[in-house]
Amino acid sequence: MSAGIAYDQARTAWRRAAPANARALDLPVTELLTGFHPDRKRGTRSKLMIGPNAGQKAPIALARLLQSDSLLQDVDIAGAPTLEADVLVIGGGGAGCIAALTAARAGARVLVATKLGLGDSNTVMAEGGIQAAVGADDSLQRHFEDTLRAGHFSADKELVAALVSGGPSAIRWLIREGMSFDLAEGSQRMGGTLRRKTPGGATAARLLSFRDFTGLELMRAVREATLLQSSITILERHPALELLSDDRGRCAGAVLHDLARGQAVVARSAATVLTTGGSGRLHLAGFPTSNHYGATADGLVLAYRLGALLRDIDSFQYHPTGIAWPAPLEGQLISEAARSAGAFLVNGLGQRFVDELQPRDIVASAILREIAEGRAAVRDDKVGVFLDTPSLERARPGILGRDLVTLRHLAGRAGFDPAEEPFLVRPTLHYQNGGVQINVAGHTTVPGLLAAGEVTGGLHGNNRMMGNALLELVVFGRRAGASAAADARRDRPRNIGLTHLADWRRAMEGHRLPLDRKAPLLFPPYGNFDPVRDRRRGA
Amino acid sequence: MAPVRLVIDGHPIEGEPGTSLLQAWVAAGLPLTENVGCMGQGVCGACRVLVRRPGERLAQTGLACETLVEDGMQVAFINLSRRSRPHPYDLHALGDSWDAIGRIDELFPEAKRCRHCGGCDSACPKGIEVQQMVHLAAVGQTYAAAELFDDCVQCNLCVAACPEHIDPAHLGQLVRRMTASMTLRPSDLIMRLHEIEAGEQPIDLDAPGALPPSSSIENEPVQGTGDQR
Repeated sequence: MSAGIAYDQARTAWRRAAPANARALDLPVTELLTGFHPDRKRGTRSKLMIGPNAGQKAPIALARLLQSDSLLQDVDIAGAPTLEADVLVIGGGGAGCIAALTAARAGARVLVATKLGLGDSNTVMAEGGIQAAVGADDSLQRHFEDTLRAGHFSADKELVAALVSGGPSAIRWLIREGMSFDLAEGSQRMGGTLRRKTPGGATAARLLSFRDFTGLELMRAVREATLLQSSITILERHPALELLSDDRGRCAGAVLHDLARGQAVVARSAATVLTTGGSGRLHLAGFPTSNHYGATADGLVLAYRLGALLRDIDSFQYHPTGIAWPAPLEGQLISEAARSAGAFLVNGLGQRFVDELQPRDIVASAILREIAEGRAAVRDDKVGVFLDTPSLERARPGILGRDLVTLRHLAGRAGFDPAEEPFLVRPTLHYQNGGVQINVAGHTTVPGLLAAGEVTGGLHGNNRMMGNALLELVVFGRRAGASAAADARRDRPRNIGLTHLADWRRAMEGHRLPLDRKAPLLFPPYGNFDPVRDRRRGA
Repeated sequence: MAPVRLVIDGHPIEGEPGTSLLQAWVAAGLPLTENVGCMGQGVCGACRVLVRRPGERLAQTGLACETLVEDGMQVAFINLSRRSRPHPYDLHALGDSWDAIGRIDELFPEAKRCRHCGGCDSACPKGIEVQQMVHLAAVGQTYAAAELFDDCVQCNLCVAACPEHIDPAHLGQLVRRMTASMTLRPSDLIMRLHEIEAGEQPIDLDAPGALPPSSSIENEPVQGTGDQR
């Protein structure tokens, strides 16, 4: 990374030029992405040697985790306390709670195991909203095509069709669970219309929201419903270490780690739903992240070791405007609402360098190019470009106080007034576009194993549209929960154990992969936690 | 700047000025496996702490991701299980809105016995008028009560602070959920649902717009494909 321009000098250049003139990208998009998008960077990916996706590429850090040995041996689960359920849900964010509720209401006895507390997840952090084609000027077909186009036509069409056609009924379901939505100005609660915003890349206004904390409002209602559902047992601080298998290769539950006691717990189930979320806390290619603390790709590791096919695992979303300075706030998200409202990106020379409303992968790459080529500003060793909020406030007085409440709050914590000073921003790791392959019913390629939410792949292709993440977790949380409850009535696993690990270890040895590399990670390295040592404490 | 000295859960640590309590805790090499979630956005309510500053007699509640380290601070994480539910109810079995408002008292009978000690108000890290919400809910003004709880992050500090076991966080959710599920009936959503049920919103998987354009798509960026989250 080049040094860049000293902050004072860059600030003077910004101030002199503000508001800077529009300047289009002076590089073909293909060259920009190839040269600067983190997914495309040479030397950052490696080929998987074992498992169902052998031969395909994944980011090096993720490939290491996927090709790791289990944290468990057979002896670790001998005599461990055993729990039984019809449906085991691993992960307690939005998708997990919704899958659990749906399965429980279909008559299943449900166990929810979650690493942190119920609801502590990326869902609760989602600000923008949830897409559903409800407007008279909109249609399911438009939502379908917009989603495919945004993902560069690499998404699974059947999944996308299921996603968009489930949109309106997902909103009805959420309202029935007690979630509120903003109404159009002057609209009545009965017979009025919903407030609709236009998500980037959409051909109609389709984004429904609750203020600028839609995810929190969703999670509050759904968490409360889950806590109150009598046939759901919740195990907080119980991350999964390994999936269980039966003698036919079915998933048969999971081995959990009870963090309070440092003990393994065996959770046997007829159907298992993975809702473990994403992987921002892997900090791929050294990037900061906007993700919550538990996003460490655990679900991908568990599913892959049991033989589930993954897809698009080399595709990640880098949100263009993470905070670059000050250090304690690094990686935290400044909502895209700022750019939608008209805030410019300005480099250390006082110049704009890209149309700010281009797709995220393009804007993020353009910022990374300014940094790489030495045109970014440097403040206390932190490098970034300016997000020009003062010019926005001058052009649209009052907007920071009225519409960008969270942004103002962030500036306050950073210790400056966004109407006077611009933010220093750089891309932050935001979303895992790919994941475990599922079908429209939520089944993975392993019998007995289902998945929903960010852990899955196929819905977003190589680039996710805003508002489709919350929709996904509702639509597919419900589908996976219903399928799991139905599956549990049909078939139950037999001769349960860790039999799949023998083949896995043979494959690792065959490819000279080090058996001392263990996964899942559970917590980021700076969490100062070692699961193996923790289990000795409980033994 | 010189590091500041503080004590968290009995561990004397040094923290960089400008960092949060949570960041100082992990920087000191201590294990972080609980009381953490969103790690700084202040929305998950998981990192509750009790903080006493030098010279102050009383401790204050807060969130460890939003509270910055200060010299001489004494900090304790507050572990609150959010799973014990003394006020169970089924939202879908409350009857219609005529019945439901009357049942608030049956479900949360302690609410009318609020003794106005203000404990909940001072415990709330988001500055919500908790006591006022309890009052409004108790007298059936559900919508006004619900609005007061817009910013709640369900940290449950008000639950811990209440000597009458009113469970304000959950009472707040009851009135919020009741209001939404019983009164929000958007016409655009309802019309679209009817169309879908009548088969009037088919999806054509092979429509021209569902196929990649023959020219290189990479060189024709679509307008602003993004996410405002």
